[in-house]
Amino acid sequence: MSLPLLDFVKTRTVLLDGAMGTELMARGLPQGTAPEAWNVERPGLVKEIHGEYFAAGADVVSTNSFGGSALKLAGHGFGGRTYELNLAAARLAREIAPAGRYVAGSMGPTGKFLKPQGEFTEEDFAAAYAEQARGLADGGADVLLVETQYDLREALAAVRGVRSVSLLPVFVTMTFNSFPRGYFTLMGDTVARSAAALEKEGVEAVGANCTLNSEQMVGCVRTLRASTDLPIIAQANAGQPVIGQDGRVGYSQGLEDYVRFVPEIVRAGAGLVGGCCGTNPAFIRAMARIFNNKERS
Amino acid sequence: MNRDELLRSMNEAIVAGNKAAAAALGAEAVRSGADLLEVIEKGYVPGLQRVGELWEQGEYFLPELISSAEAMKAAMAVLKPELDRKNIEARGGGKVVIGTVEGDIHDIGKNLVASMLQAGGFEVYDLGADVKLERFIEKAEAVGAGIICLSALLTTTMTNQKRLIGLLREKGLRDKYKVLVGGAPASHKWADEIGADGYAENAVAAVKLVRAMSGVD
Repeated sequence: MSLPLLDFVKTRTVLLDGAMGTELMARGLPQGTAPEAWNVERPGLVKEIHGEYFAAGADVVSTNSFGGSALKLAGHGFGGRTYELNLAAARLAREIAPAGRYVAGSMGPTGKFLKPQGEFTEEDFAAAYAEQARGLADGGADVLLVETQYDLREALAAVRGVRSVSLLPVFVTMTFNSFPRGYFTLMGDTVARSAAALEKEGVEAVGANCTLNSEQMVGCVRTLRASTDLPIIAQANAGQPVIGQDGRVGYSQGLEDYVRFVPEIVRAGAGLVGGCCGTNPAFIRAMARIFNNKERS
Repeated sequence: MNRDELLRSMNEAIVAGNKAAAAALGAEAVRSGADLLEVIEKGYVPGLQRVGELWEQGEYFLPELISSAEAMKAAMAVLKPELDRKNIEARGGGKVVIGTVEGDIHDIGKNLVASMLQAGGFEVYDLGADVKLERFIEKAEAVGAGIICLSALLTTTMTNQKRLIGLLREKGLRDKYKVLVGGAPASHKWADEIGADGYAENAVAAVKLVRAMSGVD
């Protein structure tokens, strides 16, 4: 029996994985197709991506279910397949996970707004996440990762939904923008407020992902550290999307520049570190080298 | 309520995002026979501009922006029938067709831009998300819009912004429309590269850009 993830976090810096969507697209996911559909239609390719991240040294991979809440899938006409697609997502990652490695059930935002800005209630959101969580938990996820949240109210509704169907640990990452006055979500939630509310809700780890590059992430993690005693997750973007000479889309922060700030992110207090948009297995491999060297010294 | 009080209250109602107050003040203006164009231009619009400033300063966030846009729309809903009845043309900004390009179902940013444009007096035709490129052109042709706004949140779908411009060229319609692009992966550089007429980083900037493009400012 391997160490539960929450205990493993206490022993060393945990390495998460990087981007999934761009890896799927590189393998031919057509534009407009729900990535979650490939958990059933092209399971081998999804597994291959998880396998590459594990091979690169990731301790934890996130399932291919970022857009797998019932509300988000409904946008693709797959609302009725929420359980099935999430179950498959978790199973694929579980099947290829080496012993002692972990599977995080990825749960991204619904893309909808709560009242009064939108049409939905917290109960609607909780139900949408609950259905997803059921699939991920049954498929063998070790932890449920509510990620890239831009609205604290949605994040809290998600946690309640997940808790209503599962006893697994729940991690939450919010996505913050950097402003002169500090870090704020799209809805204006601060780091301190988000961390305090999520801690009160009983989540096992909090963090920040997406939007910020690895340099900006350092300051955000510091602010998080000052706000909570929970383990902190950090998954920065590799800068901003840019169009290369060949017309292909790349990211502004190259691998070397990105990983340069990783030790600082760890020093700032992050215990679980991985990548987000613009990162790939090569980024994770470079981060694994940093962590291994540090732990040997 | 005297004229200055009325204008100031209108400004405050928009800044506070108070829909009920904004509408009630509009009704008060109609009842008292106030100059309706003046209450729009000197009462409500400065409030909306203030909201834009507060957003740019990082004091206001998306909920405040939406509330203020809703308050503005509520006020206009009260004033518009009266303006129509009196055959007065409010200083509108023209017609705008907006949507998220095909292959992309993200619509939060696009909805916000549409809402702010509407609040800013534009006639907005929101085609929704995952919109076939041909539909943007068909709609713009049908309603006589001058501006087409394209949103894309994914690095893979932003290329459809470029494709739309190509499509307009093929049809010999490129010069007929201003094409503006937005969305997380877009940038000024991207807009330049694909030959778009402009890029806006956020909803407030989008309203400014559309106003400038349509000659309102």
